[in-house]
Order: sequence, then C-alpha cells, then structure tokens
Amino acid sequence: MADDRRPNRWPADGARRDALDKVSGEGPYTGDTRLPGMLEARVLRSPHAHAMIRAIDTTAARALPGVHLVATGADLGLLKRITFGNWVHDQPVLATDRVRYEGDMVAAVVAVDEATAFRALEAIRVDYQPLPPLMDIDAALAPDAADMFGVKHPNVHMKLGRGAETANEPRRNVLFDYSFTDGDVDAALATADRVFTDRFHFSRIAHFYMEPWICIADARANRAEVWTCNQDPFLLRQDLSEMFGLPEGHFRIRASYVGGGFGGKSYCKHEPLAVLLSMLAGQPVRLQFSLDESLLTLTQHAGELELTTGVMNDGTLVARRTAILLDGGAYADASAQVAVRAGYRAAGPYRWQAYDASASVIRTTTIPAGSYRGMGGTQASYASESQIDMIARRLGMDPLAFRHRNLIPAGVPFKTGDSAVDADFASGLDRVAADLRHQPAPAGAPVLRGKGFALGLKDGGSFGRLGKAAIKITTDGRVLVQCGAMEIGQGATTVISRLAADVLKVPVEWVRYAQVDTDTTPFDQGTHASCATALTGTAVYEAAMRVREQLLEIGAEELGCDISELDLAEWSIRRGSEILPLEPVIKRRYGRFGFEITGEGFIHHPKDPSAPHGAKHLYWMPHWVGVSLEVDTGTGMIRILDMVTGVDAGHAIHHGGVRGQDEGGTLVALAQSLFEEIAYTSDGAFATPTPLDYRVARAADLPGSYRSFILESGLGPGPMGAKGVGEAGMLGVAAAVANAIEDATGVRLTDMPFTPEKVLAALDAAGLTEPPAP
Amino acid sequence: MNDLIPIRFRLNGIDRKAAVEPNQVLADLLRDDLGQTDVRVSCDQGVCGVCSVLVDGVPVTACLTPAFRADGCEIVTAKGLASGSDALSDVQRAFVDVSAFQCGFCTPGMVISATALLAAHPAPDRATIVGWLGANVCRCTGYQMIIEAIELAAARRAETLHVRIGEPAD
Repeated sequence: MADDRRPNRWPADGARRDALDKVSGEGPYTGDTRLPGMLEARVLRSPHAHAMIRAIDTTAARALPGVHLVATGADLGLLKRITFGNWVHDQPVLATDRVRYEGDMVAAVVAVDEATAFRALEAIRVDYQPLPPLMDIDAALAPDAADMFGVKHPNVHMKLGRGAETANEPRRNVLFDYSFTDGDVDAALATADRVFTDRFHFSRIAHFYMEPWICIADARANRAEVWTCNQDPFLLRQDLSEMFGLPEGHFRIRASYVGGGFGGKSYCKHEPLAVLLSMLAGQPVRLQFSLDESLLTLTQHAGELELTTGVMNDGTLVARRTAILLDGGAYADASAQVAVRAGYRAAGPYRWQAYDASASVIRTTTIPAGSYRGMGGTQASYASESQIDMIARRLGMDPLAFRHRNLIPAGVPFKTGDSAVDADFASGLDRVAADLRHQPAPAGAPVLRGKGFALGLKDGGSFGRLGKAAIKITTDGRVLVQCGAMEIGQGATTVISRLAADVLKVPVEWVRYAQVDTDTTPFDQGTHASCATALTGTAVYEAAMRVREQLLEIGAEELGCDISELDLAEWSIRRGSEILPLEPVIKRRYGRFGFEITGEGFIHHPKDPSAPHGAKHLYWMPHWVGVSLEVDTGTGMIRILDMVTGVDAGHAIHHGGVRGQDEGGTLVALAQSLFEEIAYTSDGAFATPTPLDYRVARAADLPGSYRSFILESGLGPGPMGAKGVGEAGMLGVAAAVANAIEDATGVRLTDMPFTPEKVLAALDAAGLTEPPAP
Repeated sequence: MNDLIPIRFRLNGIDRKAAVEPNQVLADLLRDDLGQTDVRVSCDQGVCGVCSVLVDGVPVTACLTPAFRADGCEIVTAKGLASGSDALSDVQRAFVDVSAFQCGFCTPGMVISATALLAAHPAPDRATIVGWLGANVCRCTGYQMIIEAIELAAARRAETLHVRIGEPAD
C-alpha cells in the first residue's frame, strides 16, 4: 500500500463525529419523527408457544371509538408474498392459522393514539387450540414431534464454494443444513495419538438494544415512505418490493441514528406490517414495540456443539470434526448464515490436516433466532477454545503453549482457497498472558482461584460483498459523505468522516455524514459483519481520492504545473511553500455561485468458487481474552478478579471507538457467561419477559479490574490497513471463563451460563464443596 | 374521562403550564406533549434509566413519575444541563472527551445520573460511581468509559476549584 495513504496522525483521538448529537440528547432517532395525521399501531401476541387459531373476533375492538382498523392474518391480500425471512421466507406478517411461539403476532390495531390501541387489543378475542410445544432441539427432533409447518416455503438456495453444501428445509423441523469438508477427517483422526470428543451447550441471550424496535410508514400515495431503525435499509427495500409486488423504487427507506442493534435490527423485521397498515388506513402509521416486545422479536442462537479432535502426543493438532445443532426458534430470520459461520469458524485459529463440519438449524416453538453480534463465531469460539484448553490439560501441556504450537501464522490462508490470516494471533496471546494479574487465593479463604485464556475468532467483512460511497464538497470546502453504513453506535460516522477529512485535508468538523436515505444514498448491502470500516470505508476513501484528483487537476491548470507537484492543505492547493486557496479559484472558474466537486467510490470483492464460501473472507477478527477469577466453594458464586482483552484493529482510526467495541462486547459476553439468559419454564412459558426478569450487565458486573488493548497489525483490507472490530468482544469470553474455572477447581463446565447453581453442582459432584454445618 | 390537573413547572429554565391526566406519566408529558425528544423511553418500567430527568435536582425515571408531580418543580432534561452559551455541560463535555457513548440512546439518562451523582459526591470513588450507575443500563459501552468520563468531570471540577482558590484576590 502506498505511503501517501498513511496520515501523519489522527488528532489525539478527539471527539466522535456524532458526539454532540448524542451527548446533548439531540439525536435524532426514528421515534423522534412525527408525521401529520400519524396513527398508532400496536400488535396482539400469542400467549401460547404453539397453537392453532380457530377464530379471531375483532368486532368489539373495531367498534371502539378511535380505532381505525384491526388487521389479522385474513387481511394480507395486498401482499404478493406474506412471509419474510432470509433464504427461507417462512415468517408471516401476521399469523394466519397457527402461532409458533409465545409472542407470535396475531393481530394489529391502528388507532388514534396508543391508549386506544391498547384498549382495542384487549377487546380482541382469539380462540386458540393449543398444540404440544417444541421448546428445545431434542423435542423438535423427537420421532413423534409435530411438524411446525408441514410445507416448504419460498426460498433461495445458498450456493457456496469448494467443499461447502447447503440445503433449505431438508427434514421435519429442520430449517437448514450446512456441511463443509476440507480433507479426509476420518483418515486423519486414524493417525492421531489421541482423539477427544466433547460436547458443549451454548445458551442464548437477547440483543436488548436500548431503543425499542420502531417503524413509521406512510404508504398513502403512489409510493411508500418508511422511517425505521433497521440496519439494512437497502435489503429491507428489496424485501418490501418482493412482498408487495411493487418496484423497489416504490419504497423509500429513511434512517436516523439507530439506538443499538447488535444484529437484532438487521434484515426485514416488521416493516412490511407497518407499510400494510398504512396502506389499509390511508394515513401514516407508527408501529412501535415496547422493550418487552423487542425481547420477543429476535434472539441469539442457543446450540449444542460436539467437537471431535485428534492430536499427537507432542501437542500437534491433527484433525477436527464439528457437529452443531442450533436452536433457530420459530422462524428463519438469518439462521442459515449463522449456521454456515458457526460450522466454518469452529476450526478456530489452528492448522489442521483435515477439518469438516456440519451445522443444522432446528426449529422450535421459541422466539426466532437470527443475526447476533458474533454470528455463529461466538458459539464456535466457545466450544473450540474450551476444547483446546481441555485437550492441553489432558496432555499435561500448558494451554497457552499448546495454542502457540498450533496457531496459523499471519499470511497463511485460514483454509485452502480462503484469504490469508491478517493478524498475529501469537502476539495477542502473549499480551494477555503478560498483562493479566493473578494472585493465589488467600490462605484459609473458602475460595479457589484460577486463570484462563482464549482466542476467539471470526472472519469479518463477510465475503464477496460490495461497498459504495459518494462525496461532494462545496465551494467553501465543506464535505458531505453519503454511503449506506448505518450509525448504530459502532462509530461509522466517525470513521467515515475521518477517512474523508484525511484524504481531503480538511478539519474533520467540516465533514458531515449524511443520513441514509435509499432515494439518495449509494447502494449498500447492509451494516453487518463489521463491514463499515474495512468495506464501506474503502469506498469512502476511493470517493475522496476522486475528489482530490479533480481538485489537484484544477490546481495544476491554475499553476501551470504537474499534478505530482501538488498537495491539498486546509482547502487550498499547495505547491511547496506556495498556497493557492481553493474557494476563489472555484468561483473564478465556475462563477460567483460556486460549484460542487463530486466523487464516487466503489469496491466489490469478487466471487471465487475455489474459496470455501464462494468468495474469500474479507479479513480475520481475533479476540484475545485473559480472565482471573475466584470460585466460592460455599455458594458457587464466581467473582471475576481481573480481565484483559484485546482486538486487532489493523489500523485504529479512532482508538476510543475501537476500545468501546471491545469492552462493550466483552461485558455482554461476560454477562452471558455468568448469568444472562433467555429462559423458559419447564412447561414452556417465557420466563424472562421483561427487563425486570431479564438481567443484563450493570456497571457493578464489571470485573474487579479490566484493561483492553488494541493491536494494529496494519494488515487489514481497509484504508491504511484498517479492519473492523465490532463483533470481536463477544468471541473469546465464555471459553476463557470456563477455562479459568477449570484452572481454579479442576472441574469443567460445558453448560452456559456458569451460574452458582451449576458451579455448585459441579463442585459437589467432584467432592469439592464443604458439607453444610450440622 | 378524567378531570385534567393543571400544573405549572419550570422546564430547562422556562416556565411552563400544562393540563395533565391523573394517570399521565412525566415522560409522556415531556416527550409527546412538549416535544422534549431527549427524554427517551426504553423499558417503560423504571428499570433502565434511559428516561431519567432531574426533578428539583433529584434524578427520577420519567416513565414512572406521575406528570402532576412536576407541579411547582424545576425539571431539567439532558438538553437543559448546559448553561449560558455553552452547548454542553462539563459532564457532557467529559462524555465527549472520553467517547463514553456509542448508540447514544441511553446517554441523556446517563448524563442526568452523572450530574446528580457529582452534585451529591463531588469527588466520588469508583464504588460510589458504580453504585449510582446501577440506575442506568447501557448495552453498548461496557460502562468502563462512562465511569472514566465521570471521573474526568470530577477531576476537572476539582482542578477548577483549586485554580479559583489559588487565584489572587482583587
């Protein structure tokens, strides 16, 4: 990469570009939009996990003053396709004949205000015929389990690359199968000195974004305008187009700041219902969920992961076979992609003679599971890094030395045909090992102490994706950047503004990142997979370079010299010590009303059928974790004493932003390791339906001490070697905690979360607890 | 139909009048009736602290506070924290300087809690900060940078105080 791409330095971190909007309370967020004549829509949800709908009586609800309409599954006639979901379109806009989870949407009310809408919901009578619920993977796969759908749905086949196969809805209650084969695992395992098979249970958590899900639709005239908190405005536009049988241009999606997403606001959610209600009402409609309802909208995937790993007595890894069952919940959402990524990523950052994986998504009568920060990589890293530690201990080797022996070095492809590893896995491991503070337990205290490490990994930036950006700069040097990276808190505004400011040599305060609007913003494939910096950022960089070239050409003409002699500086052309201010030059050339110089940037990573997933993964996202903890042998309580985590930003464009991604993800993952969980009662009722029941991390849940670090390998594909870090914080934590527990107690926990009850039961089984005093 | 209750209060330094339903909450009055969009509602049950505002200097969750309770009170929201020509208060400035926010949805409530905390404890230790932050949920940051922002604001106030004390008298 050319040297001129490297800036002198960023201003000592400096403010995020969205700081004033957010710290002042200004926003805006989607819910701040108000339209004249806007009505309020709310939905009625199933109290049953699984039931047939015999009849719905909306007469009393419709008769209430102020109620504009009540819609049920019988009112979907305006839709050409009534279902949505990625790859498999199986989720109806409103339930038609059957509900498949507690919270499934049965009817919607449009009324003059929220209170009226709630009264109307209470007046709707639904006659349900309950069916046996299928609350987990075992129940759904039981030979006598009911078929949750009984039909195949409209779907798109996911075509991948070398060694990878997929199938949609292959068997009863199975949404999706993924398989990947790289070499002959059976033959390789036969040569191994030892072969270990271990099973792990991964629990699931909610996204718990603070901004409850919301969408405003105005579909009165011959087009539909939508304001929503979605991470993927252009993907949503395509879904709306297909579902309503109207051209994409019929729909205009507009976005504000998104109040947290973590994957939970990706792809099509309930925007089609908002559009439909607005069409039926002939007025703008706001469909707003409570935070309770947001909990019912989507979760992470729980899963059962079985790893069979062969190893030589000297500690050389030989081969691994991964078998994963993911709990997809009631409907598809993005489950297929999660399965693909979980299966592939469970190889971990290690060299194998052979690796194969199968990952299936099982349907259950629970909240749909879908995209979640980490996207299968969290599940995979948990199982893989747990088992690596277990094997090291079984071989009597130091877990860190065992890892070091088997790491893929930077520059070597993750798998044949895939992109090369662009991080120094070893240096991050050394760093956490050196930085972690660990002291033995005080003598006589009823506690055991241990330390554990993990190296979580996922690919980042997805594969075969594209990025687009447009920049225009006014006569006075103010820059407007347009691209489709949604500001969901990850810092896209800051990264994008800084990249443009750096190339155009203007203060970052002169750069404004335009709000995303599908009518005017260049196309984008969605804010996922930690793409904004490495992918969209590259397009922004290219767009800025096009503007820069035009400005230098103007300068070359004005000064009668070659472009190579010129540079930009503070909205001037600079030749050596000579400064030519641009504003007067532009006015002289284009007249006193001035001009706007514009530039576009585009990047498209090509398909490559020899790559396992049909295109190379854009980059690699490690998460290094070290944990020192204490287990109370009387109560089973775990106290995190010290913690160190690190990520590889390639090149950190805003250190505070990178740090916040790691620390924020890490605390969510730590909560998931210790207590946070979507739970159902034994008879199938949702046990954590409100923020009072569903416990997320508070400040008091921070480790006793905690430091994060940023490595900058400079090897990322983005501008100046940058890459994304947005999902890294989720990856390594659960395994590091489990590894530390084993280090402390000698007992291995494989069933997340590691609650005091489970810890105590495991200690009891191992005879490590004190018998209660008589 | 309930009888409306007339109330008078001060909102971010401006005298306001309103007629509120007996069952109306302060969040709805401020956000829906008075357009105070920095008062955001998340959990709507007093758990998350996103909607926090100051009522006579005391932080409350506006989603659980009856609107009539505002009668005769001084209400301050995040937008009302700055004084004079400053766009931000010193607490807000510290949040900017530490990048102690991400999605920003919880931030107004956070700066309200932090402001009340520093009024009660000008030099809080970490345990005090952690205790006060028990009233607010942030799903993005992992809290550590928020804690640092509060510590920074406290340190700057102490510094300012020190400089003032050290200034020669006229």
